[in-house]
Amino acid sequence: MNEAEYKYDLSKGSAMDEHNKEDIVDHLIDVYGDRILHMAYTYVKNEATAEDLTQDVFIKCYEKLDQFHGRSSLKTWLYCVAANHFRDYLKSWHHRKVSLNEKVLSYFPSQNRNVEETVVARDDEQQLSEAVMALPVKYREVVFLHYYEELPLADVSRMTGVNTNTLKTRLTRARQLLKEMISEEEK
Amino acid sequence: MKDPIQNVKSAMTNQVFKNLSFSKKRRQSVNDAIREKKQISGLASWPEDTLAALLNAVKDEAQDGYAISSILFRKQDRTFETKEGELYTLLHLLENKEILRSHWKNDRKYYALTAKGKKYLAASADQSAVDRPVLRKLIEEAAL
Repeated sequence: MNEAEYKYDLSKGSAMDEHNKEDIVDHLIDVYGDRILHMAYTYVKNEATAEDLTQDVFIKCYEKLDQFHGRSSLKTWLYCVAANHFRDYLKSWHHRKVSLNEKVLSYFPSQNRNVEETVVARDDEQQLSEAVMALPVKYREVVFLHYYEELPLADVSRMTGVNTNTLKTRLTRARQLLKEMISEEEK
Repeated sequence: MKDPIQNVKSAMTNQVFKNLSFSKKRRQSVNDAIREKKQISGLASWPEDTLAALLNAVKDEAQDGYAISSILFRKQDRTFETKEGELYTLLHLLENKEILRSHWKNDRKYYALTAKGKKYLAASADQSAVDRPVLRKLIEEAAL
């Protein structure tokens, strides 16, 4: 999990042959596999889909590695590829169809009862994490990258293409929403 | 009430991401996909003429690797002159794509054109005057 271990020096313009590219992707999976999967999960909230998307991200990396010129760190670049891929997925026809089905299903009473049961015994951490996952995706995204990954907002801005000031506003709003959601439950 | 967001990291780690890990199986899928892509790009590096000459060499009867390389040499194709091993890589690749099929006879592997290979070769001969890299495109598309 330590980026300092990362030894590939790509900025020196070393020829990136096929074998090298494969090695780099392998290494990226070692270091970031779980983290990209977690990131995917915060977008799609479904384990299997998150795994599929993570797989896609690393394949994409292999394809696009020639376009990486060391202007940002490899990590920033990877997260950028990932964020774009996850957002594209949320916009896709397939996703919208699936999530509509889920919404329809959630109106069935059996599901609602399930939710009530889980609400009964819950500690703070559970409350908070569920509140985060219940945020609209644009807030979830910045909360994950800034508070979970602990990335500076300047980096988050580069990864998501969202202005730093917009990100600040979103964080403030996200914090408000979280407080509301949590105090709502404590009543 | 204190800002709840300070605990996001541990809350997410312990709750949401608890059993979420990128599995070996998934990793293998990535590696497989990369290998697949490599094969396709492996084909792209061969000149169209070489591909055509190779397929023409085995069009009428099955040939072994040595015979194929002599035929290419007679046609002044020097692609494999210093790297004969790569001829076998290409033969193997074309076999995987079912353009060629092979059989063993007297300890030698003979290669012949499949029906699919014949179709592609004929199609490329028809069109080669207008659009050069037809053959390669046809074979590459076959892999998808």
